[in-house]
Amino acid sequence: MELILASGECNAEDEIICVPERVNELFENPFLGGVNRTMVLAVLAALIVIGLLYFGIVRHKKRLVPSKFGAAVEALVTFVRDEIAIGIIGPQHGLKYFPWLLSIFLVILVSNLFEVAPFINFPVSSRMWVVPATLSILTWFIFVISGFKEQGFSYLKDIAWPPGVPVALKPLVGIIELVSTFLVRPFSLAVRLFANLVAGHVMLTLLLVSGWVFLSGQGGLAKIPIGLGWLVVGLAIYAFEIIVAILQAYIFTLLSAVYVQTAVHPEH
Amino acid sequence: MNLFTTLILAAEDGEHADETSGIDLLLPRDVNEIIVGVIAFVIVFGFIWKVASPALNEMLENRQKRIKDDLEAAQAEKAEAAALKEDYAAQLSGAREEATRIVEEARQAGESARADIVSRAEGEAEAIKTRANQELESEKERAMTAMRGEVAGLSLDVAEKIVGQNLDRSGQQALVDQFIDELGGSEG
Repeated sequence: MELILASGECNAEDEIICVPERVNELFENPFLGGVNRTMVLAVLAALIVIGLLYFGIVRHKKRLVPSKFGAAVEALVTFVRDEIAIGIIGPQHGLKYFPWLLSIFLVILVSNLFEVAPFINFPVSSRMWVVPATLSILTWFIFVISGFKEQGFSYLKDIAWPPGVPVALKPLVGIIELVSTFLVRPFSLAVRLFANLVAGHVMLTLLLVSGWVFLSGQGGLAKIPIGLGWLVVGLAIYAFEIIVAILQAYIFTLLSAVYVQTAVHPEH
Repeated sequence: MNLFTTLILAAEDGEHADETSGIDLLLPRDVNEIIVGVIAFVIVFGFIWKVASPALNEMLENRQKRIKDDLEAAQAEKAEAAALKEDYAAQLSGAREEATRIVEEARQAGESARADIVSRAEGEAEAIKTRANQELESEKERAMTAMRGEVAGLSLDVAEKIVGQNLDRSGQQALVDQFIDELGGSEG
């Protein structure tokens, strides 16, 4: 551990891993002063999303038979449209929210997949602000505004004074519902995504660096199997993280759709 | 690794106060990233809202329309083909009936022609037979008459020679006629 934790001057012969003097170097961009690596990756994610849609759909909208790439993008997009937008919110309101749901799904998906993308290996979603917090706050605004727009004041009333609950319990349930809907929802949405991606990122880093340290460091041959073991576990987690990245994007989008659904359809 | 160990270090050790460390790495105090996140998201959203979503709808509608048109055209063609087939079948069965009718007619015509020919032939044969009979009869009559004269002459000649005297010719003739009549009567 001493070797790994060494800071200051880095001697490649003595030390296996050189730790930067300031940890912020990891997040900073050497070319643009105020713009850090997260911001660059966020913009890159946006560009990738736009590129996917442009080359997959917009450019070939006249073609009746899609190319292979176009068919793949189309499958992704129509999945969000049919399964999430129309499937959850319903055919009446679903299509209205489709552009927003597709945007959050693709932005989160690409941001998450940066975790396992070679040479990037950094999920933008593991920094709280740029993706998880931003998108949960936007989701919060969207479902709250939709609720008031569709149901008027009774949206708030039905949450604070829920129908179908014994009168004695109404104040208690009302407070719980108010807190859960307006405070816990955006918070849990953001933390779920953020924590999953941080955990995955830290786990991948630990396992793969351990593998590297054991395989390349000084010492006898005995440490080679240990290093290989860490590497194998790390690669297994790598595959698992791909699933997590896709799953978390899906869950975020699905829950956003559910929140909107409960806002536009009064519960009976 | 770097991040993680530094996290642990920073949590234990507050030496680097000027550096971002601890939970601040994950929840940076500097929230400028929100601005970038919002801008990037708004650009993506605007693109999807104004460009990609209409393009997707257009594409799906075109495809839907094309498939619907193709299916409808196929349906129409199928119905047309069925009608045509029915038409042909009707024509074919009509033709078969017609052929049967023609054969039947021909058979009946042949039959009646045969009967006609046979009956006509029978009539003709009857007529020929009748005529032949008549001719025969008249021939016989004529031969009989001629023979009667001849026989009478011969008889007279014979009788003259036998008797040696000339009998009164008319008296003789009457005698002979009477003889022959008696002869014919006995025959007949």
